[in-house]
Amino acid sequence: MSVAEARTAVRPRSSRIVPLLVFAITIALIVATPFLPNYYVRVVNSLLIYILLGIGLNIVIGYTGLLDLGFVAFYAVGAYTYALLASPQFDLHLPFLLILVIAACLGAITGILLGIPVLRLRGDYLAIVTLGFGEIIRIIINNLDWLTGGPQGIARLDKASILGLQIARPVDFFWLLLVVVVVAGVVAWRLEHSILGKAWAAIREDQDAARGVGINTTNAKLAAFATSATIGSIAGAIFGASQRFVSPESFTLQESVLIVLMIVVGGIGNILGIVAGAAILILLPEVLREFAEWRILFLGLLMIFLIIVRPAGIVPRSFGPEKLIRGLFGK
Amino acid sequence: MRKFAATLLFGASLFAAPAMAEQVTVGLSAPLSGPQAYFGTTWHNGFKLYVDKLNAEGGVNGVTVAYEQEDDKADPREGTLVAQKFCDNDQVVLGLVNFNSGVAQSTLPIYEDCTLPTMTFGSNPSLTKQGYEFMVRPVANDLAGALLPAEFAIGKLGAKTALVVNDKQVFGQGISEIFAKNFQAGGGTLLDTIAVAPNDVDFAAVLAQIKPKKPDVIYLGAVMPQLALFAKQMHEQGITATLIVPDGGYTPDLIKQAGEPSIQGTLVAIQVPPMDASPAIADFAKAYKAKYGEEAGPYSIYGYVQGQILEQVLKTTKGLTREDINAALHAVKVKTAVGDLEFDETGELKVAPSYLYKVEGSNFQLVGSK
Amino acid sequence: MLGNLIQQTVNALTIGSIYALIALGYTMVYGVLRMINFAHGEMFMLGAYVAFLLLSMLVGDVGMAGAIALAMAFVIAIFLVGAVGVGIERVAYKPLRNSTRLAPMLSSLGVSLSLVTGIQILAGPQPVAFPSFFPVVRYEVMGGTITSMQIGILVAAFVLMFGLHFLVTRSRIGIIVRAVSESRPTAQLLGINVNGAISMVFFVGPLLGAAGGILYASYYGIMSPTMGAVIGLKAFTAAILGGIGSIPGAMLGAFILAFVEVGGTALLPVITHGVLGTEYRDVLTFAILILVLLVRPAGILGEAVSEESVVYKREF
Repeated sequence: MSVAEARTAVRPRSSRIVPLLVFAITIALIVATPFLPNYYVRVVNSLLIYILLGIGLNIVIGYTGLLDLGFVAFYAVGAYTYALLASPQFDLHLPFLLILVIAACLGAITGILLGIPVLRLRGDYLAIVTLGFGEIIRIIINNLDWLTGGPQGIARLDKASILGLQIARPVDFFWLLLVVVVVAGVVAWRLEHSILGKAWAAIREDQDAARGVGINTTNAKLAAFATSATIGSIAGAIFGASQRFVSPESFTLQESVLIVLMIVVGGIGNILGIVAGAAILILLPEVLREFAEWRILFLGLLMIFLIIVRPAGIVPRSFGPEKLIRGLFGK
Repeated sequence: MRKFAATLLFGASLFAAPAMAEQVTVGLSAPLSGPQAYFGTTWHNGFKLYVDKLNAEGGVNGVTVAYEQEDDKADPREGTLVAQKFCDNDQVVLGLVNFNSGVAQSTLPIYEDCTLPTMTFGSNPSLTKQGYEFMVRPVANDLAGALLPAEFAIGKLGAKTALVVNDKQVFGQGISEIFAKNFQAGGGTLLDTIAVAPNDVDFAAVLAQIKPKKPDVIYLGAVMPQLALFAKQMHEQGITATLIVPDGGYTPDLIKQAGEPSIQGTLVAIQVPPMDASPAIADFAKAYKAKYGEEAGPYSIYGYVQGQILEQVLKTTKGLTREDINAALHAVKVKTAVGDLEFDETGELKVAPSYLYKVEGSNFQLVGSK
Repeated sequence: MLGNLIQQTVNALTIGSIYALIALGYTMVYGVLRMINFAHGEMFMLGAYVAFLLLSMLVGDVGMAGAIALAMAFVIAIFLVGAVGVGIERVAYKPLRNSTRLAPMLSSLGVSLSLVTGIQILAGPQPVAFPSFFPVVRYEVMGGTITSMQIGILVAAFVLMFGLHFLVTRSRIGIIVRAVSESRPTAQLLGINVNGAISMVFFVGPLLGAAGGILYASYYGIMSPTMGAVIGLKAFTAAILGGIGSIPGAMLGAFILAFVEVGGTALLPVITHGVLGTEYRDVLTFAILILVLLVRPAGILGEAVSEESVVYKREF
């Protein structure tokens, strides 16, 4: 068999094996998780929250090509929305679903608020301004004691419930998060392939040319910020409900950077990449927990290694969900 | 992925293993990496020192103690994962947990749900006010920690005016507010409260603002190294007020980092008795150094005391279930290296020892206790 | 009042000159590689740790070190850190030179994480007392207090900055670096040793950063493994404020930032009648940064990049 023949003989098979494998592992994990001890369920939940955050931020970074280093602000907006509307802080106890809607709206509004001033900025200037925005939000939360409890945070948040069904155990959150992640993933994926998504891609590739062909870059960018912030804020509200305590410590710059890293290490612009990136950056430190300091060192070195070996991410942009599904059915 | 699966299997095998009847496991959780790692590790070391000695002597009535140490990175999210890990492991019957009040806030509901009793180290007063039935706090809370210095300032120093500076962190803000309240209750005047950013190292601008107010005492609710930096810069700016700092300052680093001349006369309030206060404590300090090759950390003695509490709990408990241990823990009466300890119904110490030291030369001299 | 003003001005100048030393590293790397080097703050930290290690090797008890030992430690340390900078570039950034712009930035984040954790493991996570590099004498100038340390830092920082200015504008190396910074492909076509120029930048930047770190640690009397993070972010902000890629811009940005910080701490509570205290200082800093960038999107002295410019296309 010549090399060329061998290649064509192996190609179709390998392109099916990977999707099948990915699919099988995912299904196995989903089926197995509810039966695992609660600790593992919590770890998976944590993973799902970060995947959700990754899906949100990816819209701005991966689809539109704008480096946002202040994403954690939207996460904080969501978490504090839940904390303020479902806790003894102001003795408000609104239903969980209503708060999710409010958090989503507030997220979108803050997203647009951030979007407006940064429309003119590009590249690294955009990065530092978003970073500053994230820090401003965190400092304000830390200092508005009468509203947010300041550094003491807000404790004793209500247990969440949806239509009378209580969401309190880790396993309940697992199902909730799974549904939200799948919905957010599908929405993001559909958006990527919509007209809006094409406009984002155009801005990412060449902003001036995009404007030249008649794309309203202002609206497209604002839409990207708003959608991304909405997802981040929803993730925050769920985080608040599952942690039942919020404090400014959870919303530091490091958290923003972690999410960016997750996206880039995994594969920028690709939902599957985010899952891979989250798996490495969230699960690995958890598995290596007993090594305390050394695991962080290992993580740092691994990051350098991965970026050098695969600068475009573990999962390439071309290997998107559609390829996975197509591969699954052998087309 | 494979590693994760391996851990899964390992975890599963732990559950399947027949329970060794005469061993209990204690879960230890504190920051073991990051800037606060020093406090977490040395606190835990104190506990391990006592427990290892206990085991070497054959345990308590034949029951030996194992421990599982986990890093919570002082992060509430990591803390909940650790909490759940302990909860899931049936061998763990007691938690020696959370150095940080912020982390304890999010882990205590989890421990409560799985009925795992804990000795919580976070000193924020609100922790015991939330009705948790499975926690005790083996250390004085901030209410006690900030009472003695306020009384001392008014009674012994004759201070009339105070100025409070805090670092806008859970601990620093909480304890300095309590100091301010106690100081005013004692008849003193609070001139001003100034908050600084948590990571600040330069207090020159703040001090320039303080200088014309001429307070008798300045209470600084913050942690190291800010305490040392503030003291040093205060001295450099020629401010002569007496500086009072909370427990984080009870370390030779305070004197070393501020420089001896800058720190003279500074008062440090902490729940820890002097290392030469009693033969028991001196023995502890010696044993610690022999085992770990360094001086005991500021909270190591409390880890040791928690070991003593555990010993008494194991002596008096009816059984080794979490409920039994919890009952015995709440009812415990024990003579420890820091004195006789027992808990009230909220899990707070009935008599919480607290001490006040003054920096003299390169030493901490005890000037008051309560 | 006048004393207070003098004192605050000197405080701001001292902090500003340390910021400037670090900001220069960010801006020079950006100039030649269009890359934000997130590991640069760690060069600052490393400077203090290496100097401390050298001192304890030279004299044993670092508190007792004499002037010669201090000067030797200072010079050797900054050169060593410069060499470390070159090494890091070779290993972690060079393989990514033709990749996306985001890749080397994230690689630098990995370097930063590894260095901080590495030092934490080697030297312990808690802050360490750092010896003073200048004898501390206090001068009273019209009611304000100025220390000899502040004067020493100002002098050292300005000497280094003028050295850099001379290197960049008058020397052959400077011409090469400026050519590469202007346009890498053109410089390559002209036969300029681009790799050499990049190595040079990765030597000088960390060297200045390390000098800043030593001055900083000796000014405040402590060093800690995480000291690079906060100060690095501030210096980076300063570099952006001044217009990243511009060397005078980095210095100007650093001093503006320092004056805003000191002024903010002193004036915020007065102006707002206590509504906003000192704790809002960083909000003020970032707000000013954002406002400046809205008016001048490329920073104060940055080259105005027009919408048609090709420099910023294809970010990722």
